[in-house]
Amino acid sequence: MAEDILLGDDFLRQLMSVGEVDLLVAIPTYNNAGTVAQAIQAIEDSYQQNFVRDRVVILNVDGGSTDHTTETILNMNGRKAGAHRGITSLRTVHRVTTQYGRNPSQGMALRTVLAAADLLRARSCAIVSPTTILDSSWIASLLRPAYRQDFAFVAPLYTRTKFQGLLARNLLYPMSRAVFGLRIREMYSDEWGFSGRLATQCLDQNLWGDEAVRARPEAWMAVTAICSGMKCCQSFLGPKAPPPAGSGPDIVETIRQTVGNLFWCFETFQDHWMDRTGTEAVPTFGSDHELTPEDAPASQEKSFELFRTGVKQLDDILSSILRPDTLSLIRKIAGVEAGKFRFESELWVRTLYEFAASYRRTVIARDHILQALVPLYRGQLYSFLQEHRASSLEEMEADSEALCLEFERQKPYLIERWKAKN
Amino acid sequence: MKATIVQGLQQAYLNLFHMIAEFLPRLVVMLVIILSGLLVAYALKYVVRAVLRLTKLDRLSEEAGASRVLRMAALPSMTEVLSRSVFWITLLGFILVGISILNIAGLQEQISRLLRLLPEIVVAMLILFLGLVIANFLSRAALLAAVNAGYASPKMASWSIRFGIWILAIAMALDELGVARQTVIAAFSIVFGAFMLGLAIAFGLGGQGLARSFLERSLGEKKDDKTNELQPL
Repeated sequence: MAEDILLGDDFLRQLMSVGEVDLLVAIPTYNNAGTVAQAIQAIEDSYQQNFVRDRVVILNVDGGSTDHTTETILNMNGRKAGAHRGITSLRTVHRVTTQYGRNPSQGMALRTVLAAADLLRARSCAIVSPTTILDSSWIASLLRPAYRQDFAFVAPLYTRTKFQGLLARNLLYPMSRAVFGLRIREMYSDEWGFSGRLATQCLDQNLWGDEAVRARPEAWMAVTAICSGMKCCQSFLGPKAPPPAGSGPDIVETIRQTVGNLFWCFETFQDHWMDRTGTEAVPTFGSDHELTPEDAPASQEKSFELFRTGVKQLDDILSSILRPDTLSLIRKIAGVEAGKFRFESELWVRTLYEFAASYRRTVIARDHILQALVPLYRGQLYSFLQEHRASSLEEMEADSEALCLEFERQKPYLIERWKAKN
Repeated sequence: MKATIVQGLQQAYLNLFHMIAEFLPRLVVMLVIILSGLLVAYALKYVVRAVLRLTKLDRLSEEAGASRVLRMAALPSMTEVLSRSVFWITLLGFILVGISILNIAGLQEQISRLLRLLPEIVVAMLILFLGLVIANFLSRAALLAAVNAGYASPKMASWSIRFGIWILAIAMALDELGVARQTVIAAFSIVFGAFMLGLAIAFGLGGQGLARSFLERSLGEKKDDKTNELQPL
């Protein structure tokens, strides 16, 4: 399979000199010279502490860095003498680097990793981000379930602060859980693990040109595993420091990528979820999702203003996406003053299911459907923050669980809208 | 005198009778041709529709993205568009053949002119269709981008783009048809130029404050807006 993909001669030579491996950890980079060294060090530490006898490789796939990221990796010293109280790997820790293109692309990076994993016959693989402050234990937590226990997909679990990751809490997790029937909290993350078998299966699929796969391939891998009947699990990693404010993609781009990918997965795997009812918990290694207190964020009045403006200005677009009764309820709440505003769960779920159905029917350009969701998400976010500004962690968790159940309760409505012709 | 008048009337009557006698069969033939055309066109429409449905053209069109373009222009499915086009083209062909049977002086010439113009008309219609689709798409994209970025007057940006593309498409279509070519180009230049100048003046003079805040937000404050918004993931 890997031969079908254009792997450079130099890259192939490096892979051939490595031979077969048991474990592969990949690190996609793009201008990460400043942070990549600590990530590589964490991976090597993990190999030396936890996988002393195993054949291992670190693979760097670069998207055309101009800051000498690759050279930084290659010029790093190997294991630090005495750093691990005498425990060192019995095998060489190989470092392989390659450039898959001149522009960064998560999909292309993953495809290159999967091709390498397939060639090296890796049994367990993990992908980590060069910008995350990695602990060496994280690597072992991501690799072990696929290596020792035959799990195909390993999703991470982090300790989150109260108001961190609200798109995942209010949309991505409950919706994917209700539709695909598995309770995987972090389907969209920078770190995840997978088996060599899943790598080969994903590599064989002819979906790499699709924008949804190119943008967020990790969720597609998870859904592929779920729908192929492979075993999935979650592995607790620990607290994940949020990226510096303003460094990641903004809310519009994030919704285009993640929600677009989720809706695309609904369509691509529709035969697998239509008849599925209820949800199942997946095995979890370590602590289940942890939440820590956090001060309420600064006023989000602007989110509410953008919601109101959006509902007013995008009325024509929303009327082609939403059912008249749903749109009329949204118009009604947009007219309420900020202090009394609430975006009820029932309406939120109904709105999202109608968006998903409209995406499937392509009532207008799909990218425009996703962009039209942004003001509504801002409204829901504002409502959530208003409601939970002073809530305890338990109350917030209970409310999130109630939202998940609402998604499950309304799943028949999604199926009805999904099958409807207009 | 009286005999001459009677003879003239008789001659006129005979001529009229001959003309009607000559014209009626042709009219009947024309009606028969048009009616047959109608039947053939209907038959072709149903055959084409059935064949296209069997070949699952709509699915292919969906996958290729052509259906989206049709929906954006408020048109039916690809199968329906093609089968209806076959119907109208067939019927139009039979009507033209039928009319030519009437052998009316001057009409033949007009029909041949129409037939000669047909490719240009099709191209002009295609230009207008594409203009409509592009205008819809880009104006909606501008509206969404402006609303999500929180810019003032998002609809103005959207309408400006739609209007600009319409003007361009109409001018191109008229140019293709060769309708008052010089006038159309001059009119287009004047209208488009005036539109752009109007925007420039409105934004530069009438909206200095707006322009300043727009630039400030684009270059400086936008970053602050972004950092104020909670990280979604």
